[in-house]
Amino acid sequence: MNKQQDMSAKDQWKTFVRLARYILPFKGSALLAIVLLLLTVTATVVSPLVIQTFIDNYVVPLEFPMKPLWLLAGMYIALQLVNMIASYFQTLRFQKLALAIIQQIRIDVFTKVQKLGLRYFDQTPAGGVVSRVTNDTESIKEMFVSVASTFLQAIFGLIGVYIALFTLDPKLALYTLILLPVFLLVVAVYRHYSSEFYQDIRERLSQLNAKISESLSGMGMIQAFRQEKRLSDEFIEVNEGHYRAGMRNIKFDTLLLTPLIDLLYTVAIVSVLSYFGLVSLAQPVDVGVIYAFTTLLRRLFQPVQQVMARLSIFQQAIVSASRVFALIDDTELEPTQTANATKKITNGTIEFRNVTFSYDGKHDVLKDISFKANAGETVALVGHTGSGKSSIINLFMRFYEYERGEILIDGVSLKDYPIEELRAKVGLVLQDPFMFYGDIASNIRLHNDKLTDEDIRAAAEFVQADHFINELPKGYEQKVTERGSTLSSGQRQLLAFARTIAMNPKVLVLDEATANIDTETEVAIQTSLAKMRQGRTTIAIAHRLSTIQDAELILVLHRGEIVERGTHGELLAQKGLYHTMYELQNGKQETT
Amino acid sequence: MKVLVDLGWFFKERKKQYIIGIITLMFVALLQLAPPKIIGMIVDAVTKDELTSQMLTRWMIILAVAGLLMYGGRYLWRTMIYGSSVYLARTLREQLFLHFTRMSPSFYQRRRVGDLMAHATNDINAVQQTAGMGILTLADSLSTGGFVILTMALTISWKLTLIALIPIPFMVLLTSYYGRLLRKRFRIAQEAFSDLNDKTQESISGVKVLKTFGQQEEDIAEFTERSKRVVAKNMRVAKIDALFDPTIAGIFAISYVLSFYFGTRFILSGDLSIGDLIAFTAYLGLLTWPMLAIGFLFNIVERGNASYTRILSLLAVDPEIQDEPNAIAKLPHGDIVFAVDKFTFPDDTRPSLRNLHFTLKQGETLGIVGKTGSGKTALLKVLMREFDNYTGKIRYGGIPITHYKKECLLQAIGYVPQDHFLFSTTLAENIAFTNPQTDPEKIVAAAKSAHIHEDILSFSDGYETLVGERGVSLSGGQRQRVSIARALLMNPELLLLDDSLSAVDARTEEAILHALKEQRKDKTTIITSHRLSAIQHAHQILVMDEGEIVEIGDHETLIKQQGIYKEMYDLQQLESIVEQGGGTYE
Repeated sequence: MNKQQDMSAKDQWKTFVRLARYILPFKGSALLAIVLLLLTVTATVVSPLVIQTFIDNYVVPLEFPMKPLWLLAGMYIALQLVNMIASYFQTLRFQKLALAIIQQIRIDVFTKVQKLGLRYFDQTPAGGVVSRVTNDTESIKEMFVSVASTFLQAIFGLIGVYIALFTLDPKLALYTLILLPVFLLVVAVYRHYSSEFYQDIRERLSQLNAKISESLSGMGMIQAFRQEKRLSDEFIEVNEGHYRAGMRNIKFDTLLLTPLIDLLYTVAIVSVLSYFGLVSLAQPVDVGVIYAFTTLLRRLFQPVQQVMARLSIFQQAIVSASRVFALIDDTELEPTQTANATKKITNGTIEFRNVTFSYDGKHDVLKDISFKANAGETVALVGHTGSGKSSIINLFMRFYEYERGEILIDGVSLKDYPIEELRAKVGLVLQDPFMFYGDIASNIRLHNDKLTDEDIRAAAEFVQADHFINELPKGYEQKVTERGSTLSSGQRQLLAFARTIAMNPKVLVLDEATANIDTETEVAIQTSLAKMRQGRTTIAIAHRLSTIQDAELILVLHRGEIVERGTHGELLAQKGLYHTMYELQNGKQETT
Repeated sequence: MKVLVDLGWFFKERKKQYIIGIITLMFVALLQLAPPKIIGMIVDAVTKDELTSQMLTRWMIILAVAGLLMYGGRYLWRTMIYGSSVYLARTLREQLFLHFTRMSPSFYQRRRVGDLMAHATNDINAVQQTAGMGILTLADSLSTGGFVILTMALTISWKLTLIALIPIPFMVLLTSYYGRLLRKRFRIAQEAFSDLNDKTQESISGVKVLKTFGQQEEDIAEFTERSKRVVAKNMRVAKIDALFDPTIAGIFAISYVLSFYFGTRFILSGDLSIGDLIAFTAYLGLLTWPMLAIGFLFNIVERGNASYTRILSLLAVDPEIQDEPNAIAKLPHGDIVFAVDKFTFPDDTRPSLRNLHFTLKQGETLGIVGKTGSGKTALLKVLMREFDNYTGKIRYGGIPITHYKKECLLQAIGYVPQDHFLFSTTLAENIAFTNPQTDPEKIVAAAKSAHIHEDILSFSDGYETLVGERGVSLSGGQRQRVSIARALLMNPELLLLDDSLSAVDARTEEAILHALKEQRKDKTTIITSHRLSAIQHAHQILVMDEGEIVEIGDHETLIKQQGIYKEMYDLQQLESIVEQGGGTYE
């Protein structure tokens, strides 16, 4: 959870206006909702007036002519019906509007997320981004659903009630205007403190939940290290803090919400009755007017109460909206291609020409990298963690933009190919293959509907994934659950191979897994890798040097520089870094 | 209403608060009756032209005092009743949490963290609602409703009261029915929402794949599809939700019409005054809330019931591993003798360990290799007493480990798990997990031994850097090394490394192994690994398969045996040996 972002009133207003602008495409719908709302408000305000007429004209004089009475009764019933129907459809309309707006915001922010560069994802925890797309938009929804209609209803209600009051007794109505600043004052005071209190309790709640959830996930560790007591004490402290904040909120709400409004209502009633009482001492008063006044006064207080109850939702929505908009406005976009790029990849020759690159603009992680791979050849990248291997791939895959040096395929700059062409012809196999929720086939196919079931099978067979797939109870239809947790990392790797092979790329980029894979799958993986590389230009990151011994060119990277280059044999003969790594990996320097 | 009985212990504990709360609540309910009555009286006095300024002043003062008393009373009962319900939530949460810390791993194996979380949040919430809103609506609808109806019946007209109340039961039935329907649909809408959440999570975690395959557009289309579903499901909720207001308004409109129609007739017959009728309709207005509340009450209590039953059944689970009576309260020391005939994980049919007999001498290092599922981790788990349900004995220093106090046994063990878990606090606190007050120098020393010191210094806040959601995200290798530092800092009698070097590169692995060897000269260490390099130096190596020891001995012996170990060794090095003629290995 983010700490409370202290937004200035101006920022809040700006965010609000921007949110409101989302209504524009739904103008018609919004207008209809407002008309329905006006209808209900009118019905609510006019009803007591009908009863007032009834009391003053018929009950007090005790005259009951049938015809006008039926008319009056019919009017009352019609008003109630209008109120019921209009109120139902008004609520529905506002909901529909709110949901439509939220959907638009969601799609906007999700589309934006898809356009962000990898730099953004490297810097932002996934949970935060997900929260922006779902939870934050959900709290904006609350605003449109309950706040917007309540606020409108309150404003219309106030206006309607005042019109009614003025028609009944202008002088008294004028006096009741004094209630407005009182309301505003109460709302302002409430708003001031509630934003702080609610923020506080929300934060405490998320702390509390984080504590529980983390303790549950890490219970094994807590118990193994016998820290139950300490963690429990920590939890009790957080729990206690949350309790105290909860108590404070209850007291605060009680002092300023419903009970206070009720108190104000009583004060208003006392004033109105005193007024009528005093007037009646001098001249006759219509009792129906007293009835209407007291009833309408209650209607005057209701909306204020409802608005106050929803203020915190409103405030939360504004904070959420500002976070969502911040994401929509983020400028960390993915690299762009040259406009109207039309080039096609034909051979797959790869060349890096004096490429220097830095993530932060200060420290170069790649320094003057140059190499060339002819069509069908393999270039292997070798080096310790942080030597720059992954950065080379990040640039080649256009995950990050480069400015110094040039990267070429078939002699043409990467930037001059349409992105679709690059994505179709360059296949990347990731180190930790990501599995999507679905089944085996859908994980190979991804969203590419052009691939037939045959293509899928062929790809799986090609990379020798068919053996384990056929052993699954449902074969290609076997469900793949969260992150493919039911599959071993080796099997996931094979599926990732099949995924790439299915699109038949010209150029292959391999990021070999560091994690250990059981030996049997390992054999399948190595064989498949060799097969996949045939006829494709390949850039491979290798952790096991044995994998890439047949590479046409091996580059040994150290701190962003190519320190050695050559074939396996040449490099071994050099007795340099490569040689040492090789020795180390093969357990030459045995420890016992 | 079972939940109210089940929660009896709590109501007893908070007797004072509840009694004060409910009495005040009833007092306020009584006071509420005053304003309509006074309005009616003034109206009557005005109609009959009997109003005097003295009378007016008196009643207005009474009304004002009633208003103030109600304000104070409401404050009191809210703090008492709502306060108690928050207190209940706090108490239950604490009970659950403490209970969770006592549960053994098999408990966590059977349940998902998400579900346990739901108990600790949603279920407690529902019970809190019952103890707060539930009790309130019960007391309020009974007292306010009762008082209002009594006043209407006794002081105005019981006939008119009966007539006016005819439509009310329909409202209670309808709103309670809507409530049930609403909850069902709401759950479906929640599912659609969490589906969207999962989808988003997946797209963001898999962003590299999506970019690589150029499928962003397709993914956006899928997202749009799901978010449309969310809209559709929410509209279904809205359709029910929107029914509440019109239904209430409609039913009360019928009541009003009935009241006015018959009220007027009673006025004509001289049974009722105009002021009475006006007061009567005002009272009718007061009934809205308590009647509505009865509808809610059913739903609240129904939910509270289900939730509290779930919480109770969770609390009823006994910890599986308990200390024996007279358990030994000293730290184990000495040789470890494994004699396990059979061990099967709960809920599993295949035994994970079979015929496991070996001795690990004090101060020696044991290496265990084998495929995934060969029993390496199971061996460590029974040694740590995560499970006791095996046949056979494991002796540590000559005494079966089940005879030690579990706490003492664990105090001797430093454990580095496979799935290295870090807490979202500072790196220093993660390393000094067993004792946050550890001397910083010792923390640094442990970090250096685990080869994570340099990495830590490279973070902006060094050892004070936060880990997790709000802090830096560490690579798998870094997390492993922090876990190792954590275990090393304990300087335990027995160190267990469960495939803990899998994500570090060869050079780092070698350095860490070297540090281990130096520091743990007289201490016992068990290392499991896929990679042979991590265990080659061990005094004794177990090769496991399907829960059994298939080979045992040190590296040299095993290589000479020409068995599985040799095979694995060769496989890992095959190509190089063949192609390079690197015959210097044996």
